[in-house]
Amino acid sequence: MTQQQEKLSAFMDGENEGNDIIDAIKQDEALQAKWQRYHVIRSAMRKEASVSPQMDITASVAKALEDEPTIMAPKKSRWSKIPVLGSVVPFARQSGQYAVAASVAAAFILGYQQFNQPVTPDEPFMTAPTVMPQGGLSPVSLQQTRTLPRNDMATMLEKKRKVNALIADHEQQVKLKQAEEQSEEAKRNSDPESSPQ
Amino acid sequence: MINICRNVPASLRLVRLFSRGVKCAALLSVTLNTAFAQDNTSQPDAILTEQDQMNQSSQSGQTNEPLTAQTDNNEASAMTTADWLVRLTNATRELNFQASFVQSRAGQETIPYLWRHAVMDGGRTMEQLNVQNGPGRELIRDGNVVSVFEPDVPPYSLRSEYINGPIPSELLYHPDTLKEGYEFVSVGRARVAGRPAQQIRIVSRDNSRFNYQLWLDEKTGMLLKLNMLDLQGVLLEQIQVTALNITEEPHEYFHRVNQASLPKPMAISAAKPREHNWEVTYLPTGMEEVRRDIRRLALTGQVVEYKMFSDGLVDVSVYVQPANDALGSDLVLRHDLNTFLTLTDGEAQVTVVGEIPPKTAQSIATSLTLTGSAN
Repeated sequence: MTQQQEKLSAFMDGENEGNDIIDAIKQDEALQAKWQRYHVIRSAMRKEASVSPQMDITASVAKALEDEPTIMAPKKSRWSKIPVLGSVVPFARQSGQYAVAASVAAAFILGYQQFNQPVTPDEPFMTAPTVMPQGGLSPVSLQQTRTLPRNDMATMLEKKRKVNALIADHEQQVKLKQAEEQSEEAKRNSDPESSPQ
Repeated sequence: MINICRNVPASLRLVRLFSRGVKCAALLSVTLNTAFAQDNTSQPDAILTEQDQMNQSSQSGQTNEPLTAQTDNNEASAMTTADWLVRLTNATRELNFQASFVQSRAGQETIPYLWRHAVMDGGRTMEQLNVQNGPGRELIRDGNVVSVFEPDVPPYSLRSEYINGPIPSELLYHPDTLKEGYEFVSVGRARVAGRPAQQIRIVSRDNSRFNYQLWLDEKTGMLLKLNMLDLQGVLLEQIQVTALNITEEPHEYFHRVNQASLPKPMAISAAKPREHNWEVTYLPTGMEEVRRDIRRLALTGQVVEYKMFSDGLVDVSVYVQPANDALGSDLVLRHDLNTFLTLTDGEAQVTVVGEIPPKTAQSIATSLTLTGSAN
């Protein structure tokens, strides 16, 4: 018995290689009880204490499994006994799922817009907004009570167009400059004999 | 809350509700973008440790004594930033490699790229750069001809020694030309894309331009990561290699390229410089004029006098227009990484566009002076 206890202890620590102790535990109820107690003690010492000392889960699980009747057909829901509710409830549940998904999407869009606010530089001079106010076009005007006169809007659009023209031109020039520079360089490198040096 | 709101008109109450919703959304967005936030918050620690490493490396550089057990690390730290940049140039010119990298800008979609380079028989080099998302964009360089395949544009070729990708070509191929405007500071070792890397800071000498952080592979000198930061240290753009594969033999892709099917190169000759009766008297250190021109803008047809300045890493455009068809008011705004600044003095409008801090753009714009020789 003491030898078996030692073996059990060693097996718990993962030191015992042989399978004979497993067979012994399977046969011996006293050893099974010890096996369980040892685990409770170990988890208590390691401050895990997830298993309360009185509760023998292994026995209760085995008992429950034995008592469980074999279900051949799926259980009918209580709701489905009532003719109208039976068809309504699943639908309600579904729409709830949709609502959650939609609200997540809406929150994401709002969040995305929040995050994408143009970064205003901390400089002493005034910074104009990147997005021009759109008088009269916004569906619900919460902050602007007065719509801008039409000619104002026209100048605003005109301004935007001019800004865009300059930025587009800059980007085009940068590309062109690189192409030209390299074109020149490649020409020089490819026929060095024609250059004056 | 209800008590406060009782006397408020319905629309305002709506606003309150709405603004609360926005707050929640903002919170959500914060959690969604933790990646960015973490990147920012973790930076100070990283800098501290990097500085420690820098001190170590500089000490070992000064003493310059071979330690008893010399490892690769000590050899690496003994190299100067100039040595590292030479290695970078050599690696991108002489290795057979395939690199995947992504380019990301705050608030924008990440763009993935595939970049291949090969040294063919006879020493001829070939290169490929491919945008991996969407309809794609492919650039193939064969020797000194770059062919461009883009959606909606017939393919064309240019004579060029290198492909113009998101990585500044001056940095890859002529880093020595950047010395005038920028200082290269060795920071120390780091780990990028699963490889030991050497970090270098690129700082403009007069603090007038955005700064860069560069990580190079310790083993090969290849570029692994490039950050562009504004003067407050906020990340503007990041290029990050995600996979790097260096091989003995060129990738089989290059054997499949049919030279005959590539379009013939077209020559672009620089326009003849025109005379302007104005000059820019302030320029950031290392920046110089590369073009001057008088032309019409493609979108509006306005006539502009134009000068371009460059320091190798960034290009700055300066436009001068008569004030009568100008914007009418002074304006500063940010478009992508470009700062757009326009000033009017009643007669002429000066506009500066480029990847520079707004303060520098203002200094350039206000330094404009008329010269005697009017045309």
